[in-house]
Amino acid sequence: MIEYDSEEQRMVLKFVYYGPALSGKTTNLLRLHDLLAKEGRGDLMVLDTKDDRTIFFDLLPFFLVAPSGLKIKVKVYTVPGQVQHDATRKAVLQRADGVAFIADSRRSEAKNNAESFGNLERNLSIVGIGIDKLPLVLQYNKRDLPDILPEEEIRRTWGATGFPVVLSSALEGWGVVETFRALAERAYDALDRRYDFTGTHGLTRGSFAERLVRRAG
Amino acid sequence: MPTDSEGRRRIVYCVGEEHALRDILPEAEAAALLSAASRAGLRGVRVVDPGGKALWGSGDDVPPPGEGDPRRPILLEGEAAGSVVLPAGAAGGETQDALLALLADALTAMAHNNLKRMLVTETHTEVVNRSYEELLETNRSLSASEQRYRELAGTLEIKVRERTEELSRAMARLVQQEKMASVGQLAAGVAHEINNPLAFVTSNLRTLKKYTERFLDIIARYQRVFEQGGVAQQDRDDLRKHRVSLRLDAISEDAGDLLRQTLEGTERVRKIVSDLKGFSHVDEEGEAPADMNREIDRTLSVMRHEIPAGAGIVREFSPLPVIPCRPGAFNQLFLGLVRNALQARQEGLRLTLRTGVSGDRIRIAFADNGPGVPADLRTRIFEPFFTTRDVGKGKGLGLTVAYDIVTAHGGTIDVEDTPGGGATFVLQLPIRRGSHDQIR
Repeated sequence: MIEYDSEEQRMVLKFVYYGPALSGKTTNLLRLHDLLAKEGRGDLMVLDTKDDRTIFFDLLPFFLVAPSGLKIKVKVYTVPGQVQHDATRKAVLQRADGVAFIADSRRSEAKNNAESFGNLERNLSIVGIGIDKLPLVLQYNKRDLPDILPEEEIRRTWGATGFPVVLSSALEGWGVVETFRALAERAYDALDRRYDFTGTHGLTRGSFAERLVRRAG
Repeated sequence: MPTDSEGRRRIVYCVGEEHALRDILPEAEAAALLSAASRAGLRGVRVVDPGGKALWGSGDDVPPPGEGDPRRPILLEGEAAGSVVLPAGAAGGETQDALLALLADALTAMAHNNLKRMLVTETHTEVVNRSYEELLETNRSLSASEQRYRELAGTLEIKVRERTEELSRAMARLVQQEKMASVGQLAAGVAHEINNPLAFVTSNLRTLKKYTERFLDIIARYQRVFEQGGVAQQDRDDLRKHRVSLRLDAISEDAGDLLRQTLEGTERVRKIVSDLKGFSHVDEEGEAPADMNREIDRTLSVMRHEIPAGAGIVREFSPLPVIPCRPGAFNQLFLGLVRNALQARQEGLRLTLRTGVSGDRIRIAFADNGPGVPADLRTRIFEPFFTTRDVGKGKGLGLTVAYDIVTAHGGTIDVEDTPGGGATFVLQLPIRRGSHDQIR
């Protein structure tokens, strides 16, 4: 969590889109920006890029107000996927309230996915977050491409971990909102345990997700 | 607080900190825009924070902004981080509205770009600092490991010295064992050779013992007859009969032969013992003048029993000057070379022992007609533990011992081909020591 000011009734949360280079993290945020209603979200801020590759990060902020008056801001970030930007990844991952791991479904990318997931585990432990406590959602992106891992194989691999797995094509615009919603719900569960969203703030799991994920008219 | 792999505390820069408008938009940058707007018709326009507190404005002569005054938000990350406000009573109208919107948008764009630049700068600085820290860390650990290797290198020398001494001692023990084994083989042969004469000497002595009993018997009878005072015819007959029954004539003849044979036997044993003493030079301490021809003969004499009947040993000796050396050691060396030849060829061995003087050196060659030594092994056969024999059939120290004996004397030992096939071991020994130390 970036900030919680109980007097000001303000809470700033952080979600991070993690994953190997070119798996579609920025495309996910672009699609969310397009698909979700203008009310309740800010504009996508894209920091300097090089050859269209993220070198710093992207930011898409969301806003909602709980019935108690608690103003919640959710800052959704992408990390740079390229191996050399590890220090930036750590800075972005710091104090994250939830992570969406965007994997590339193509068979050829299996090794990169695994290395990136290993990097996530290592960096989480460096910034002091336990992976078993962190709300984590997996997205297998690029389902529109040929030669991809079959769904059964993916489910078999990740089934035991209990992490929700969403299949998507960010390019075609499907599976993206579902991923975000799944992440919001997982994050809600963790926050509710700590800040009693339901009792103190009258904010249910359903309404938290609904307010974040409002489809554009 | 997060820690690194070695437990050091480390503050990690966190992307996402919230910023107030004041931190993003310096007054100096906003002031120029505000005063321009004021001149363009927005007289008294101000910027207020979300709490309504005035941040900056043009001129102090206007009243503070009120709730209902016309205002436009300045957005930061999609949120109103403040507003531009026209004070109550300022000129209103469409132009002012448009100007106010324009001002708000301009300040929003300015804040947005400033924020982007700040984030980029912060992240860049963080990355640079982190890289620098990691470099320092790497430098520290490299220095530490360099120190460790230095220490290791220091102790390594001592360890190597210790191990070398240990190995030298072990090697010396093995060489000693090898010499003992060589002597043991000799002893077994010599024992066999001594056993033979010893057996018939013993058997002869037993027979002589019986003969002696009979001689004593007849002497006793003569004694009695003489003591009775006279030699009657009866007594003479009895004594003659008794002499016949004791077969004294026959055994008297035999006893001489037996004694001669026995003496021959003991002479043979004496010779063997003398050869052994000569071979080992057991009575001599250190160096003694020696004729190598004689020493080779001594070696051959103690080896007689080891040399099979079919083997031909040819001595082609030239007279040699007497040289001071450790003859016992050289005999051991000759013994080893003859044995090598015996092992090189089981049947039909012909071993030529040739001696002579060549310049200021004595040259001794042992030429066999065995399989020879391949060229690539010629330097290696003198190395310790090098052997072509099967495991357990030789330690590979025989020629090493030979090499040590010769070099200790200041000489050389080499192996060559025997014309027509076989190996020739050539020893070159300086006649006068000191003059030849350069030979090597």
